Amino acid sequence: MKKMLCLLLALVMALALCACGSSAQTGTTDEEALAEVQAAVDEVADDVAAALEGVTDDAAAIADSVRVDVTDDAAAGAAYVFLDEDLGTESYAIGFRLGDEELAETVSGAVMALVQNGTYAAIGENYPEIADYLCLTADDVDAAAIPEQGSGDPDYTFKHGFDLDYPPYSYLQDDGSVGGFDVELCQAVCEYLGWGYEAVPFNWDAKDMELNAGSCDCIWSGFTKEGREDAYTWGVTYSNNTQGILVAADSGIATLADLAGRSVGVQTATSAAEMLEDSQADLAATFAELRVYETYTIAFNDLKAGAIDAIAIDMTAGAFLIANEG
Amino acid sequence: MVLEMKNIRKSFGDVEVLKDISLHVDEGEVVSVIGPSGSGKSTLLRCATFLERVDRGEIRYMDTPAVTTGDDGRAAYVGAAELKQVKRYFGLVFQQFNLFPHYSVLKNVMDAPIHVQKRPKDEVRAEAEALLEKMDLTHRADAYPCQLSGGQQQRVAIARALALKPEILFFDEPTSALDPELTGEVLKVIRQLAEDRMTMVVVTHEMPFARAVSNRVIFMDRGVIVEQGDPEKVFGAPEQERTRQFLRNYQRG
Amino acid sequence: MTLSTMLSTMGAGMLRTCGIFFLTLLFSLPLGMIVMLLRRSRFPVVQWIMKIYIAVMRGTPLMLQLLAWYFGPYYLFGWSIRGYRFTAIILGFSMNYAAYFAEIYRGGIEAIPAGQYEAAEVLGYTHAQTFFKIILPQVVKTILPSVTNEIITLVKDTSLAFTLAYNEMFSLAKQIAASQTSFTPFLIAGVFYFVANYVVAFAMERVEKAFDYYS
Repeated sequence: MKKMLCLLLALVMALALCACGSSAQTGTTDEEALAEVQAAVDEVADDVAAALEGVTDDAAAIADSVRVDVTDDAAAGAAYVFLDEDLGTESYAIGFRLGDEELAETVSGAVMALVQNGTYAAIGENYPEIADYLCLTADDVDAAAIPEQGSGDPDYTFKHGFDLDYPPYSYLQDDGSVGGFDVELCQAVCEYLGWGYEAVPFNWDAKDMELNAGSCDCIWSGFTKEGREDAYTWGVTYSNNTQGILVAADSGIATLADLAGRSVGVQTATSAAEMLEDSQADLAATFAELRVYETYTIAFNDLKAGAIDAIAIDMTAGAFLIANEG
Repeated sequence: MVLEMKNIRKSFGDVEVLKDISLHVDEGEVVSVIGPSGSGKSTLLRCATFLERVDRGEIRYMDTPAVTTGDDGRAAYVGAAELKQVKRYFGLVFQQFNLFPHYSVLKNVMDAPIHVQKRPKDEVRAEAEALLEKMDLTHRADAYPCQLSGGQQQRVAIARALALKPEILFFDEPTSALDPELTGEVLKVIRQLAEDRMTMVVVTHEMPFARAVSNRVIFMDRGVIVEQGDPEKVFGAPEQERTRQFLRNYQRG
Repeated sequence: MTLSTMLSTMGAGMLRTCGIFFLTLLFSLPLGMIVMLLRRSRFPVVQWIMKIYIAVMRGTPLMLQLLAWYFGPYYLFGWSIRGYRFTAIILGFSMNYAAYFAEIYRGGIEAIPAGQYEAAEVLGYTHAQTFFKIILPQVVKTILPSVTNEIITLVKDTSLAFTLAYNEMFSLAKQIAASQTSFTPFLIAGVFYFVANYVVAFAMERVEKAFDYYS
């Protein structure tokens, strides 16, 4: 679809491209606020200069500056790998409103029941990317905490709040329905308890407002617990994940140290983004730029197009991107 | 001869609006053109001022050809530069005034002499002020057209046309857009110009005015000149039945 | 995170937002004029191309256009798009807004009575003089309210630059809101947009007043 739109605009673009130079800019996330403002001033000034310069550039100059990408599509499909070193691990748990202890216990207990009866593992088999990260086993089950099957209020509808753009935990399926590991697990929990299930896909930026306003009963969507321990009442941790660095196999980047001077992309408001701001801030400082994207889809397109060198992303989402590439 | 139009033909699509019209205007002459709506009198004026292109025929101003007959028998306009020279010979006053609303009265009058004729500003200003005085508008020199009555606007339009010092001035129904009580002040100005021996062609519906001011009256109907001559003759003893009929209808209405 | 840190971090984004805003105006206002003139060209082919251009620019979301401008060169021609991001953003915004401005200009031009052209012609003004001295000043007056609307929309549309991972003010607000579990950045963003648009409306009102001397 993107290609079609591009073709539609190609005519106009051919003209306009004559007016496009290249503009360099950085998107740093400095600790030092003042320095950041200063950097931004410089950046905008650079951008303005570059853009103005771009308009006066002629097409010949641009032709020199662009390189023709010779990468064969088929080869490119298999050409993305994670670095062996990772950025850190995190746990995914179910977030409830502060104080909703009883609800958290009931739902967590039901998850344990599903671990015990094998449903948890069975759902996991539908999502091979995360099979290695499902952390609950029969050993974790405390039989005393498990509510009885069908013990829930049959008139109650559990409202599952999630981000519809977070595969494979919650995302739009090929057939247009709502699905993902978290969605299936939550549905199984409701079925076990005898509750009704209601899907509440929301804008991730508004998750706290949704939860506090009561439009959903939980945030359950590959929701990272680390750093948010005190902000929610937490249910069971049902999955781990590791944040890694995704690069093109032929990029020559093999270690985190190789990322020095490179452009790295990350999706806004993700654990990877937070790690690069906090625990891995020193690493981030070595990058030429840390570019924050609205979605990983766009970041991955940029990686494919060579506009950035690496993506900081959790292993499961990254594996999903690679598997569904092209 | 200030203006000479010969064998002018003009069609809009299949409708022939001007059918072989010939007309000449001498220096100092005031010619009124009368006739029913759709008779072609306004089109004649628009052709004379090059707002419309004629299909056939010839036009000269001050013996300078502007339109000649080409090899194919159709009208041939002279080049842009020559046409521009010819345009200096005439001015046109519109029915709807067409003043420039964003210019003050004084600037409306001064702008073209300064920026089209490239004349010195001081000289133009003195002339413009004199013209406004003549139009009895000195006190409104700094006003904008929207602040003026219709009659005042039309007088500004006349001053604007005169500022370019044309040899001949055309009026396209100069009082038709005005309230009846305002026509008098405009007609007075035109009458005054006639006394100053300004060469003018006035398309009008004001019969008493045409009779009183003109040296010659032209009656047009259905694209032809039906009758022309001394106003007393055309109004008092018209030769043609169509002229009589028109004047009868007019007097009755 | 303290409020002042929040403000200064977002302040960096505000500068980027302003950068997009001013550059887009700088390019799209004159570009719209060119598009409008081509749209009114004597040549049907040129008219037709401009009609399609305007239809595409107005008929598709700006977000998709930004993606197309940015990734288009890569997907269509295999060109490197490294360092082309900001240019693509300005290009996308300017081309989009030029289409809207072109239609606003066209409406303004077509509202000018034919008599103005005829008066200018008879008085001997050249085509350029007629356009710049007589027609344009009147067009500007009539289109000012519509242009103001468009400019205010642009202020808010700048947040779409985040589609191409450009960290303007609103994307920073979202990022801070997410990491701080706080609504405050959105409040700051709201105040920023409101103040910016208030300034725009105020400035445009002054401009409109300046044209008020005639009607």
